Amino acid sequence: MLKEINVALAQISCKIGDKEHNLDVMKRNIKQAKNQGANLIVFPELALTGYVCRDTLYELAEPVPEGESIRRLAEIAKKEAIHVVFGALERSEKAHATLYNTAVLLGPNGFIGKYQKMHLPTHSVFEEKRYFRLGYQTPVFETEIGKLGLIICYDVFFPEITRLLRLKGSQLIVCISASPGVRRTFFETLTAARAIENTAFLVYVNLVGVENGLQFWGGSRIVAPNGKITSQAKYDEEDLMIGKIDYADLKQTETFVPALRDLRPELFTLLKEKAENL
Amino acid sequence: MKLTSDVLQLDLQLVETRVKRFIKDYVKKCGTNGVVLGVSGGVDSSTTAAIASLALGGHSVLGIAMPEEETYNATDIQHAKLLAKKFGFNLEIVDASSILKAFFKSLPSYDVADKVSRGNLKARTRMICLYYYANHFNKLVCGSSDKSETMMGYFTKWGDVAADISPLMDLYKTQVRQLALHIGVPEELATKPSTPALWPGHLAEEELGIKYETLDLVLFGLEHFMTTEDIAKQLNLPVKLVDNLKKRWLATEHKRRLPLTAKLGYRTVGLDFRLPYT
Repeated sequence: MLKEINVALAQISCKIGDKEHNLDVMKRNIKQAKNQGANLIVFPELALTGYVCRDTLYELAEPVPEGESIRRLAEIAKKEAIHVVFGALERSEKAHATLYNTAVLLGPNGFIGKYQKMHLPTHSVFEEKRYFRLGYQTPVFETEIGKLGLIICYDVFFPEITRLLRLKGSQLIVCISASPGVRRTFFETLTAARAIENTAFLVYVNLVGVENGLQFWGGSRIVAPNGKITSQAKYDEEDLMIGKIDYADLKQTETFVPALRDLRPELFTLLKEKAENL
Repeated sequence: MKLTSDVLQLDLQLVETRVKRFIKDYVKKCGTNGVVLGVSGGVDSSTTAAIASLALGGHSVLGIAMPEEETYNATDIQHAKLLAKKFGFNLEIVDASSILKAFFKSLPSYDVADKVSRGNLKARTRMICLYYYANHFNKLVCGSSDKSETMMGYFTKWGDVAADISPLMDLYKTQVRQLALHIGVPEELATKPSTPALWPGHLAEEELGIKYETLDLVLFGLEHFMTTEDIAKQLNLPVKLVDNLKKRWLATEHKRRLPLTAKLGYRTVGLDFRLPYT
Protein backbone atom coordinates (compact mmCIF):
# COMPACT_ATOMS: atom_id res chain seq x y z
CA MET A 1 0.00 0.00 0.00
CA LEU A 2 1.22 3.50 -0.84
CA LYS A 3 2.22 5.58 2.17
CA GLU A 4 1.50 8.84 0.42
CA ILE A 5 -1.14 9.53 -2.19
CA ASN A 6 -2.32 12.47 -4.26
CA VAL A 7 -6.03 13.06 -4.29
CA ALA A 8 -7.86 15.13 -6.91
CA LEU A 9 -11.02 16.90 -5.76
CA ALA A 10 -13.08 17.09 -8.95
CA GLN A 11 -15.62 19.73 -8.08
CA ILE A 12 -17.81 19.73 -11.15
CA SER A 13 -21.14 21.11 -12.20
CA CYS A 14 -23.50 18.62 -13.88
CA LYS A 15 -26.14 18.87 -16.55
CA ILE A 16 -29.32 17.32 -15.16
CA GLY A 17 -30.09 14.08 -16.97
CA ASP A 18 -27.32 14.48 -19.56
CA LYS A 19 -25.05 11.52 -18.83
CA GLU A 20 -23.12 11.95 -22.06
CA HIS A 21 -22.15 15.51 -21.14
CA ASN A 22 -21.34 14.59 -17.56
CA LEU A 23 -19.24 11.62 -18.68
CA ASP A 24 -17.23 13.91 -20.96
CA VAL A 25 -16.61 16.32 -18.09
CA MET A 26 -15.54 13.44 -15.85
CA LYS A 27 -13.27 11.97 -18.52
CA ARG A 28 -11.57 15.34 -19.02
CA ASN A 29 -11.05 15.75 -15.27
CA ILE A 30 -9.65 12.23 -14.90
CA LYS A 31 -7.05 12.84 -17.61
CA GLN A 32 -6.08 16.18 -16.14
CA ALA A 33 -5.81 14.74 -12.63
CA LYS A 34 -3.68 11.85 -13.86
CA ASN A 35 -1.37 14.29 -15.63
CA GLN A 36 -0.97 16.12 -12.34
CA GLY A 37 0.01 12.95 -10.54
CA ALA A 38 -3.23 12.01 -8.81
CA ASN A 39 -3.69 8.45 -7.52
CA LEU A 40 -7.33 9.02 -6.69
CA ILE A 41 -9.93 11.36 -8.18
CA VAL A 42 -13.23 12.00 -6.41
CA PHE A 43 -16.40 13.36 -8.03
CA PRO A 44 -19.58 14.58 -6.26
CA GLU A 45 -22.76 12.73 -5.38
CA LEU A 46 -24.84 11.69 -8.42
CA ALA A 47 -22.19 13.21 -10.68
CA LEU A 48 -23.24 11.08 -13.63
CA THR A 49 -26.79 12.41 -13.75
CA GLY A 50 -26.94 15.60 -11.69
CA TYR A 51 -28.69 15.71 -8.32
CA VAL A 52 -32.21 17.07 -8.89
CA CYS A 53 -33.48 14.55 -11.44
CA ARG A 54 -36.81 13.86 -9.72
CA ASP A 55 -39.04 11.47 -11.75
CA THR A 56 -36.47 11.19 -14.55
CA LEU A 57 -34.35 9.16 -12.12
CA TYR A 58 -36.13 6.00 -13.25
CA GLU A 59 -34.99 6.26 -16.85
CA LEU A 60 -31.47 7.41 -15.94
CA ALA A 61 -30.59 4.69 -13.44
CA GLU A 62 -28.21 1.87 -14.35
CA PRO A 63 -27.15 -1.32 -12.62
CA VAL A 64 -23.77 -1.11 -10.92
CA PRO A 65 -21.30 -2.25 -12.18
CA GLU A 66 -22.99 -3.62 -15.30
CA GLY A 67 -24.43 -0.32 -16.59
CA GLU A 68 -22.96 1.23 -19.71
CA SER A 69 -21.78 4.48 -18.10
CA ILE A 70 -20.14 2.60 -15.25
CA ARG A 71 -18.36 0.31 -17.69
CA ARG A 72 -17.16 3.27 -19.74
CA LEU A 73 -15.78 4.99 -16.67
CA ALA A 74 -14.15 1.75 -15.54
CA GLU A 75 -12.37 1.58 -18.91
CA ILE A 76 -11.10 5.15 -18.44
CA ALA A 77 -9.89 4.31 -14.92
CA LYS A 78 -8.04 1.29 -16.33
CA LYS A 79 -6.52 3.25 -19.17
CA GLU A 80 -5.36 6.05 -16.89
CA ALA A 81 -4.39 3.64 -14.10
CA ILE A 82 -6.14 5.73 -11.48
CA HIS A 83 -8.67 5.22 -8.70
CA VAL A 84 -12.00 6.99 -9.15
CA VAL A 85 -14.88 7.61 -6.77
CA PHE A 86 -18.10 9.07 -8.15
CA GLY A 87 -21.80 9.21 -7.44
CA ALA A 88 -24.13 7.14 -9.60
CA LEU A 89 -27.80 6.46 -9.77
CA GLU A 90 -28.13 2.70 -9.34
CA ARG A 91 -31.02 0.51 -10.38
CA SER A 92 -31.51 -2.88 -8.81
CA GLU A 93 -31.20 -5.77 -11.24
CA LYS A 94 -34.08 -7.47 -9.46
CA ALA A 95 -36.65 -4.69 -9.20
CA HIS A 96 -36.98 -1.94 -11.79
CA ALA A 97 -38.29 0.77 -9.44
CA THR A 98 -35.73 0.05 -6.73
CA LEU A 99 -33.05 2.71 -6.93
CA TYR A 100 -30.02 3.49 -4.83
CA ASN A 101 -27.96 6.64 -4.37
CA THR A 102 -24.58 5.00 -4.80
CA ALA A 103 -20.88 5.82 -4.55
CA VAL A 104 -18.79 3.74 -6.95
CA LEU A 105 -15.09 2.96 -6.53
CA LEU A 106 -13.05 2.11 -9.61
CA GLY A 107 -9.35 1.32 -9.85
CA PRO A 108 -6.63 0.50 -12.36
CA ASN A 109 -8.18 -2.97 -12.73
CA GLY A 110 -11.73 -1.69 -13.15
CA PHE A 111 -14.65 -1.93 -10.74
CA ILE A 112 -13.69 -2.37 -7.08
CA GLY A 113 -16.90 -1.84 -5.15
CA LYS A 114 -19.79 0.38 -4.21
CA TYR A 115 -21.55 1.92 -1.24
CA GLN A 116 -25.31 2.57 -1.17
CA LYS A 117 -26.30 5.66 0.82
CA MET A 118 -27.68 4.77 4.25
CA HIS A 119 -29.16 8.09 5.36
CA LEU A 120 -31.55 9.52 2.79
CA PRO A 121 -32.63 13.12 3.47
CA THR A 122 -36.35 13.62 3.02
CA HIS A 123 -37.02 17.02 4.49
CA SER A 124 -36.77 20.63 3.37
CA VAL A 125 -35.93 20.51 -0.37
CA PHE A 126 -34.79 16.88 -0.27
CA GLU A 127 -36.96 13.98 -1.39
CA GLU A 128 -34.57 11.05 -1.51
CA LYS A 129 -36.74 8.50 0.33
CA ARG A 130 -39.39 9.00 -2.30
CA TYR A 131 -37.05 7.46 -4.85
CA PHE A 132 -34.26 5.53 -3.15
CA ARG A 133 -34.01 2.42 -1.07
CA LEU A 134 -31.77 2.66 2.00
CA GLY A 135 -28.37 1.04 1.81
CA TYR A 136 -27.48 -1.57 4.44
CA GLN A 137 -23.77 -2.25 3.92
CA THR A 138 -20.71 -0.36 5.14
CA PRO A 139 -17.88 -1.87 3.12
CA VAL A 140 -14.23 -0.96 3.53
CA PHE A 141 -12.07 -1.40 0.45
CA GLU A 142 -8.44 -2.46 0.77
CA THR A 143 -6.62 -0.94 -2.16
CA GLU A 144 -3.09 0.08 -3.02
CA ILE A 145 -4.00 3.69 -2.13
CA GLY A 146 -5.26 2.78 1.33
CA LYS A 147 -8.25 1.34 3.16
CA LEU A 148 -11.16 3.37 1.88
CA GLY A 149 -14.59 3.86 3.38
CA LEU A 150 -17.27 5.67 1.43
CA ILE A 151 -20.12 7.83 2.68
CA ILE A 152 -22.54 10.16 0.91
CA CYS A 153 -23.52 13.68 1.94
CA TYR A 154 -26.19 13.48 4.71
CA ASP A 155 -24.38 10.40 6.11
CA VAL A 156 -21.86 12.83 7.59
CA PHE A 157 -24.52 13.97 10.10
CA PHE A 158 -24.49 10.48 11.62
CA PRO A 159 -21.20 9.75 13.39
CA GLU A 160 -22.02 6.06 13.73
CA ILE A 161 -21.31 5.21 10.10
CA THR A 162 -17.91 6.90 9.94
CA ARG A 163 -17.03 5.35 13.29
CA LEU A 164 -17.96 1.92 11.99
CA LEU A 165 -15.87 2.38 8.85
CA ARG A 166 -12.92 3.45 11.00
CA LEU A 167 -13.33 0.49 13.31
CA LYS A 168 -13.31 -1.74 10.24
CA GLY A 169 -9.89 -0.30 9.45
CA SER A 170 -10.59 2.57 7.08
CA GLN A 171 -8.06 5.37 7.34
CA LEU A 172 -9.46 7.38 4.49
CA ILE A 173 -13.13 8.29 4.49
CA VAL A 174 -14.40 9.66 1.18
CA CYS A 175 -17.59 11.70 1.42
CA ILE A 176 -19.24 12.68 -1.85
CA SER A 177 -21.90 15.33 -1.64
CA ALA A 178 -24.54 17.52 -3.26
CA SER A 179 -24.98 20.14 -0.58
CA PRO A 180 -26.80 23.42 -1.28
CA GLY A 181 -25.33 26.70 -0.02
CA VAL A 182 -27.67 27.19 2.93
CA ARG A 183 -26.12 24.12 4.61
CA ARG A 184 -22.46 25.02 4.22
CA THR A 185 -21.80 25.66 7.92
CA PHE A 186 -23.09 22.23 8.89
CA PHE A 187 -20.84 20.45 6.43
CA GLU A 188 -17.76 22.51 7.19
CA THR A 189 -18.16 21.65 10.87
CA LEU A 190 -19.13 18.00 10.49
CA THR A 191 -16.44 17.01 8.01
CA ALA A 192 -13.81 18.26 10.44
CA ALA A 193 -15.55 16.54 13.36
CA ARG A 194 -15.70 13.15 11.60
CA ALA A 195 -11.97 13.34 10.80
CA ILE A 196 -10.95 14.38 14.32
CA GLU A 197 -13.12 11.97 16.31
CA ASN A 198 -11.94 9.01 14.23
CA THR A 199 -8.34 10.10 13.58
CA ALA A 200 -8.84 9.49 9.90
CA PHE A 201 -8.38 11.48 6.72
CA LEU A 202 -11.60 12.74 5.25
CA VAL A 203 -11.96 13.73 1.62
CA TYR A 204 -15.10 15.76 0.94
CA VAL A 205 -16.16 16.57 -2.63
CA ASN A 206 -19.23 18.68 -3.25
CA LEU A 207 -21.14 19.64 -6.36
CA VAL A 208 -21.25 23.19 -7.76
CA GLY A 209 -23.72 24.85 -10.09
CA VAL A 210 -27.44 25.55 -9.91
CA GLU A 211 -30.13 22.86 -10.14
CA ASN A 212 -33.80 23.70 -9.64
CA GLY A 213 -32.87 26.91 -7.80
CA LEU A 214 -30.49 25.08 -5.45
CA GLN A 215 -26.96 26.42 -5.53
CA PHE A 216 -24.31 23.92 -4.53
CA TRP A 217 -21.44 25.53 -2.67
CA GLY A 218 -18.41 23.46 -3.60
CA GLY A 219 -15.69 24.02 -1.01
CA SER A 220 -14.39 20.45 -1.46
CA ARG A 221 -11.54 19.62 0.87
CA ILE A 222 -9.12 17.20 2.39
CA VAL A 223 -9.30 17.17 6.17
CA ALA A 224 -6.36 15.74 8.08
CA PRO A 225 -6.92 13.60 11.21
CA ASN A 226 -6.18 16.65 13.38
CA GLY A 227 -9.02 18.55 11.70
CA LYS A 228 -6.79 20.79 9.62
CA ILE A 229 -7.94 21.45 6.07
CA THR A 230 -4.87 20.65 4.01
CA SER A 231 -6.38 21.34 0.57
CA GLN A 232 -9.52 23.18 -0.39
CA ALA A 233 -11.24 23.84 -3.70
CA LYS A 234 -12.98 27.12 -4.48
CA TYR A 235 -16.41 27.96 -3.17
CA ASP A 236 -19.24 27.95 -5.73
CA GLU A 237 -17.08 27.43 -8.83
CA GLU A 238 -15.85 24.43 -10.75
CA ASP A 239 -12.37 23.43 -9.67
CA LEU A 240 -9.89 20.59 -9.78
CA MET A 241 -7.68 20.68 -6.71
CA ILE A 242 -4.93 18.16 -6.04
CA GLY A 243 -3.91 17.52 -2.45
CA LYS A 244 -1.63 15.11 -0.65
CA ILE A 245 -2.39 12.52 2.01
CA ASP A 246 0.49 11.17 4.08
CA TYR A 247 -0.71 8.22 6.15
CA ALA A 248 2.27 8.70 8.50
CA ASP A 249 0.37 11.68 9.97
CA LEU A 250 -2.16 9.27 11.50
CA LYS A 251 0.29 7.97 14.08
CA GLN A 252 1.15 11.41 15.44
CA THR A 253 -2.46 12.46 15.78
CA GLU A 254 -3.56 9.17 17.31
CA THR A 255 -0.89 9.51 19.96
CA PHE A 256 -1.82 13.12 20.69
CA VAL A 257 -5.58 12.43 20.94
CA PRO A 258 -6.16 8.66 21.21
CA ALA A 259 -9.89 8.83 20.55
CA LEU A 260 -10.11 5.23 19.33
CA ARG A 261 -8.24 3.88 22.34
CA ASP A 262 -10.64 5.69 24.65
CA LEU A 263 -13.86 4.45 23.06
CA ARG A 264 -16.45 3.07 25.48
CA PRO A 265 -18.25 0.22 23.67
CA GLU A 266 -20.83 -0.18 26.42
CA LEU A 267 -22.28 3.18 25.36
CA PHE A 268 -23.09 1.75 21.92
CA THR A 269 -25.55 -0.69 23.46
CA LEU A 270 -27.23 2.13 25.33
CA LEU A 271 -27.33 4.23 22.18
CA LYS A 272 -29.11 1.45 20.34
CA GLU A 273 -31.67 1.02 23.10
CA LYS A 274 -32.40 4.75 23.30
CA ALA A 275 -32.48 5.28 19.54
CA GLU A 276 -35.09 2.53 19.15
CA ASN A 277 -37.38 4.39 21.54
CA LEU A 278 -37.00 7.98 20.44
CA MET B 1 -35.98 31.66 18.60
CA LYS B 2 -35.97 35.38 19.35
CA LEU B 3 -37.91 37.44 16.82
CA THR B 4 -35.85 40.59 16.52
CA SER B 5 -34.73 42.49 13.45
CA ASP B 6 -31.43 40.59 13.70
CA VAL B 7 -33.03 37.47 12.22
CA LEU B 8 -33.70 39.37 9.00
CA GLN B 9 -30.12 40.56 8.58
CA LEU B 10 -28.42 39.10 5.53
CA ASP B 11 -24.90 38.37 4.42
CA LEU B 12 -25.49 40.84 1.62
CA GLN B 13 -22.40 40.02 -0.41
CA LEU B 14 -23.32 36.35 -0.41
CA VAL B 15 -26.95 37.07 -1.32
CA GLU B 16 -25.88 39.35 -4.15
CA THR B 17 -23.54 36.67 -5.52
CA ARG B 18 -26.18 33.94 -5.30
CA VAL B 19 -28.96 35.96 -6.88
CA LYS B 20 -26.72 37.06 -9.74
CA ARG B 21 -25.53 33.51 -10.32
CA PHE B 22 -29.12 32.26 -10.27
CA ILE B 23 -30.21 34.76 -12.92
CA LYS B 24 -27.19 34.25 -15.15
CA ASP B 25 -27.38 30.47 -14.94
CA TYR B 26 -31.07 30.20 -15.79
CA VAL B 27 -30.93 32.69 -18.65
CA LYS B 28 -28.04 30.70 -20.12
CA LYS B 29 -29.76 27.32 -19.64
CA CYS B 30 -32.89 28.61 -21.35
CA GLY B 31 -30.92 29.91 -24.33
CA THR B 32 -32.48 33.36 -24.11
CA ASN B 33 -30.68 36.65 -24.49
CA GLY B 34 -31.65 38.32 -21.26
CA VAL B 35 -34.67 39.40 -19.27
CA VAL B 36 -37.55 41.82 -19.55
CA LEU B 37 -39.23 43.20 -16.46
CA GLY B 38 -41.74 45.77 -15.35
CA VAL B 39 -40.09 48.76 -13.72
CA SER B 40 -42.49 50.70 -11.53
CA GLY B 41 -39.95 52.82 -9.67
CA GLY B 42 -40.70 50.89 -6.46
CA VAL B 43 -38.14 49.04 -4.38
CA ASP B 44 -38.85 45.48 -5.60
CA SER B 45 -38.70 46.15 -9.32
CA SER B 46 -35.81 48.60 -8.93
CA THR B 47 -33.76 46.03 -7.03
CA THR B 48 -34.62 43.31 -9.52
CA ALA B 49 -33.70 45.47 -12.50
CA ALA B 50 -30.47 46.54 -10.84
CA ILE B 51 -29.32 43.07 -9.86
CA ALA B 52 -30.33 41.59 -13.23
CA SER B 53 -28.21 44.29 -14.90
CA LEU B 54 -25.28 43.49 -12.63
CA ALA B 55 -25.69 39.78 -13.44
CA LEU B 56 -26.21 39.98 -17.19
CA GLY B 57 -24.99 43.43 -18.17
CA GLY B 58 -27.45 46.24 -18.77
CA HIS B 59 -27.58 45.51 -22.52
CA SER B 60 -29.37 42.22 -21.76
CA VAL B 61 -32.01 43.78 -19.54
CA LEU B 62 -35.10 45.52 -20.88
CA GLY B 63 -37.16 47.47 -18.36
CA ILE B 64 -40.72 48.41 -19.23
CA ALA B 65 -42.45 51.20 -17.33
CA MET B 66 -46.22 50.89 -17.79
CA PRO B 67 -47.96 53.91 -16.34
CA GLU B 68 -51.66 54.56 -16.84
CA GLU B 69 -53.70 57.72 -16.33
CA GLU B 70 -55.46 56.83 -13.11
CA THR B 71 -52.33 56.07 -11.05
CA TYR B 72 -49.83 58.13 -13.05
CA ASN B 73 -46.95 59.37 -10.91
CA ALA B 74 -44.26 61.46 -12.58
CA THR B 75 -41.77 60.74 -9.77
CA ASP B 76 -42.03 57.00 -10.41
CA ILE B 77 -41.18 57.51 -14.09
CA GLN B 78 -38.26 59.73 -13.12
CA HIS B 79 -37.05 57.07 -10.73
CA ALA B 80 -37.27 54.39 -13.42
CA LYS B 81 -35.22 56.59 -15.77
CA LEU B 82 -32.67 57.34 -13.06
CA LEU B 83 -32.26 53.64 -12.36
CA ALA B 84 -31.93 52.71 -16.04
CA LYS B 85 -29.21 55.29 -16.44
CA LYS B 86 -27.34 54.17 -13.35
CA PHE B 87 -27.42 50.44 -14.15
CA GLY B 88 -27.25 50.77 -17.92
CA PHE B 89 -30.39 48.88 -18.90
CA ASN B 90 -32.77 49.84 -21.69
CA LEU B 91 -36.04 51.38 -20.64
CA GLU B 92 -39.17 51.56 -22.72
CA ILE B 93 -42.31 53.37 -21.61
CA VAL B 94 -45.64 51.85 -22.52
CA ASP B 95 -48.69 53.95 -21.75
CA ALA B 96 -51.24 51.32 -20.72
CA SER B 97 -54.16 53.78 -20.53
CA SER B 98 -55.62 53.11 -23.97
CA ILE B 99 -55.28 49.33 -23.60
CA LEU B 100 -57.13 49.48 -20.31
CA LYS B 101 -59.87 51.72 -21.68
CA ALA B 102 -60.40 49.25 -24.53
CA PHE B 103 -60.63 46.44 -22.00
CA PHE B 104 -63.13 48.28 -19.81
CA LYS B 105 -65.23 49.17 -22.84
CA SER B 106 -65.23 45.62 -24.17
CA LEU B 107 -66.51 43.95 -21.01
CA PRO B 108 -70.32 43.88 -20.92
CA SER B 109 -70.31 43.35 -17.14
CA TYR B 110 -67.68 46.01 -16.43
CA ASP B 111 -68.34 47.75 -13.10
CA VAL B 112 -66.32 50.88 -12.47
CA ALA B 113 -67.04 50.69 -8.73
CA ASP B 114 -65.33 47.29 -8.38
CA LYS B 115 -61.85 48.66 -7.83
CA VAL B 116 -60.21 45.32 -6.99
CA SER B 117 -61.26 43.59 -10.23
CA ARG B 118 -60.44 46.74 -12.13
CA GLY B 119 -57.03 46.98 -10.43
CA ASN B 120 -56.26 43.32 -11.16
CA LEU B 121 -57.01 43.98 -14.82
CA LYS B 122 -54.22 46.57 -14.74
CA ALA B 123 -51.71 44.09 -13.28
CA ARG B 124 -52.68 41.47 -15.86
CA THR B 125 -52.45 43.98 -18.68
CA ARG B 126 -48.89 44.74 -17.61
CA MET B 127 -48.17 41.00 -17.61
CA ILE B 128 -49.49 40.69 -21.19
CA CYS B 129 -47.20 43.51 -22.33
CA LEU B 130 -44.17 41.95 -20.67
CA TYR B 131 -44.79 38.58 -22.30
CA TYR B 132 -45.14 40.27 -25.68
CA TYR B 133 -41.66 41.75 -25.25
CA ALA B 134 -40.29 38.47 -23.92
CA ASN B 135 -41.58 36.51 -26.93
CA HIS B 136 -40.54 39.14 -29.42
CA PHE B 137 -36.99 39.63 -28.11
CA ASN B 138 -36.35 36.07 -26.88
CA LYS B 139 -36.08 37.11 -23.26
CA LEU B 140 -37.37 35.73 -19.98
CA VAL B 141 -39.88 37.65 -17.91
CA CYS B 142 -38.18 38.42 -14.64
CA GLY B 143 -40.61 38.87 -11.75
CA SER B 144 -40.01 41.25 -8.85
CA SER B 145 -42.18 39.64 -6.18
CA ASP B 146 -40.79 39.52 -2.65
CA LYS B 147 -41.44 36.89 0.00
CA SER B 148 -43.65 39.08 2.21
CA GLU B 149 -46.15 39.84 -0.52
CA THR B 150 -45.98 36.34 -1.97
CA MET B 151 -46.68 34.69 1.39
CA MET B 152 -49.54 37.11 2.04
CA GLY B 153 -51.01 36.47 -1.40
CA TYR B 154 -50.74 40.23 -1.83
CA PHE B 155 -50.53 40.19 -5.59
CA THR B 156 -52.71 39.67 -8.62
CA LYS B 157 -53.05 36.03 -9.60
CA TRP B 158 -51.47 35.61 -13.07
CA GLY B 159 -50.69 39.33 -12.94
CA ASP B 160 -47.65 40.92 -11.33
CA VAL B 161 -46.52 37.53 -10.01
CA ALA B 162 -46.54 35.93 -13.48
CA ALA B 163 -42.95 35.46 -14.59
CA ASP B 164 -40.40 32.89 -15.69
CA ILE B 165 -38.12 33.57 -12.74
CA SER B 166 -38.52 35.58 -9.56
CA PRO B 167 -35.02 36.08 -8.17
CA LEU B 168 -36.08 37.95 -5.01
CA MET B 169 -39.01 35.77 -4.01
CA ASP B 170 -37.10 34.27 -1.08
CA LEU B 171 -36.34 37.68 0.45
CA TYR B 172 -38.75 39.51 2.74
CA LYS B 173 -39.54 43.12 1.87
CA THR B 174 -37.20 44.55 4.51
CA GLN B 175 -34.45 42.27 3.19
CA VAL B 176 -35.06 43.52 -0.35
CA ARG B 177 -34.52 47.03 1.00
CA GLN B 178 -31.20 45.92 2.53
CA LEU B 179 -30.11 44.36 -0.75
CA ALA B 180 -31.23 47.44 -2.70
CA LEU B 181 -28.97 49.73 -0.69
CA HIS B 182 -26.13 47.22 -0.83
CA ILE B 183 -26.08 47.05 -4.63
CA GLY B 184 -26.42 50.80 -5.06
CA VAL B 185 -30.11 51.41 -5.71
CA PRO B 186 -30.58 55.10 -4.80
CA GLU B 187 -31.89 55.54 -1.25
CA GLU B 188 -34.99 57.45 -2.31
CA LEU B 189 -36.08 54.39 -4.34
CA ALA B 190 -34.99 51.80 -1.77
CA THR B 191 -36.92 53.38 1.08
CA LYS B 192 -40.06 54.68 -0.55
CA PRO B 193 -43.41 53.20 0.50
CA SER B 194 -44.55 50.21 -1.55
CA THR B 195 -47.58 50.48 -3.78
CA PRO B 196 -49.13 47.96 -6.16
CA ALA B 197 -50.52 51.04 -8.06
CA LEU B 198 -53.86 49.42 -8.76
CA TRP B 199 -55.80 52.56 -7.80
CA PRO B 200 -54.91 56.13 -6.82
CA GLY B 201 -53.27 56.44 -3.39
CA HIS B 202 -52.91 52.67 -3.10
CA LEU B 203 -50.34 51.88 -0.37
CA ALA B 204 -49.33 48.35 0.57
CA GLU B 205 -48.86 48.83 4.32
CA GLU B 206 -52.22 50.60 4.64
CA GLU B 207 -54.02 47.82 2.81
CA LEU B 208 -52.23 45.05 4.70
CA GLY B 209 -52.81 46.85 7.98
CA ILE B 210 -49.29 46.30 9.29
CA LYS B 211 -45.80 47.72 8.83
CA TYR B 212 -43.40 45.56 6.84
CA GLU B 213 -40.88 45.62 9.69
CA THR B 214 -43.43 43.81 11.85
CA LEU B 215 -45.05 41.72 9.11
CA ASP B 216 -41.69 40.30 8.09
CA LEU B 217 -41.00 39.11 11.63
CA VAL B 218 -44.44 37.50 11.84
CA LEU B 219 -43.86 35.72 8.53
CA PHE B 220 -40.35 34.71 9.57
CA GLY B 221 -41.87 33.11 12.66
CA LEU B 222 -44.49 31.27 10.60
CA GLU B 223 -41.80 30.12 8.17
CA HIS B 224 -39.93 28.65 11.12
CA PHE B 225 -42.96 26.75 12.44
CA MET B 226 -43.52 29.05 15.45
CA THR B 227 -46.98 29.15 16.98
CA THR B 228 -49.07 32.30 16.54
CA GLU B 229 -49.22 32.64 20.33
CA ASP B 230 -45.44 32.69 20.60
CA ILE B 231 -45.07 35.15 17.72
CA ALA B 232 -47.72 37.48 19.15
CA LYS B 233 -46.14 37.36 22.60
CA GLN B 234 -42.65 38.13 21.35
CA LEU B 235 -43.74 40.97 19.08
CA ASN B 236 -46.28 42.33 21.53
CA LEU B 237 -49.12 41.95 19.03
CA PRO B 238 -52.70 40.73 19.53
CA VAL B 239 -52.89 36.97 18.90
CA LYS B 240 -55.94 37.60 16.72
CA LEU B 241 -53.87 39.75 14.35
CA VAL B 242 -51.19 37.07 13.98
CA ASP B 243 -53.88 34.38 13.58
CA ASN B 244 -55.45 36.42 10.79
CA LEU B 245 -52.12 36.83 9.03
CA LYS B 246 -51.58 33.08 9.25
CA LYS B 247 -55.08 32.42 7.89
CA ARG B 248 -54.42 34.79 5.01
CA TRP B 249 -51.14 33.03 4.24
CA LEU B 250 -52.80 29.60 4.17
CA ALA B 251 -55.93 30.74 2.32
CA THR B 252 -53.91 32.18 -0.56
CA GLU B 253 -51.97 29.01 -1.40
CA HIS B 254 -54.08 28.69 -4.56
CA LYS B 255 -52.41 31.86 -5.85
CA ARG B 256 -48.95 30.32 -5.57
CA ARG B 257 -49.65 27.06 -7.41
CA LEU B 258 -50.80 25.66 -10.70
CA PRO B 259 -54.60 25.16 -10.76
CA LEU B 260 -55.87 22.32 -8.60
CA THR B 261 -57.29 19.41 -10.56
CA ALA B 262 -59.12 16.17 -9.81
CA LYS B 263 -56.63 13.33 -9.57
CA LEU B 264 -57.63 10.91 -12.33
CA GLY B 265 -54.52 9.72 -14.10
CA TYR B 266 -51.30 7.85 -13.38
CA ARG B 267 -49.27 11.03 -12.89
CA THR B 268 -50.91 14.43 -12.63
CA VAL B 269 -49.69 17.93 -13.42
CA GLY B 270 -49.31 19.95 -10.22
CA LEU B 271 -49.70 16.89 -7.97
CA ASP B 272 -47.27 14.08 -8.66
CA PHE B 273 -45.56 14.90 -11.89
CA ARG B 274 -42.21 15.75 -10.33
CA LEU B 275 -39.85 16.95 -12.98
CA PRO B 276 -36.75 19.10 -12.77
CA TYR B 277 -36.42 22.54 -14.32
CA THR B 278 -34.16 22.84 -17.34
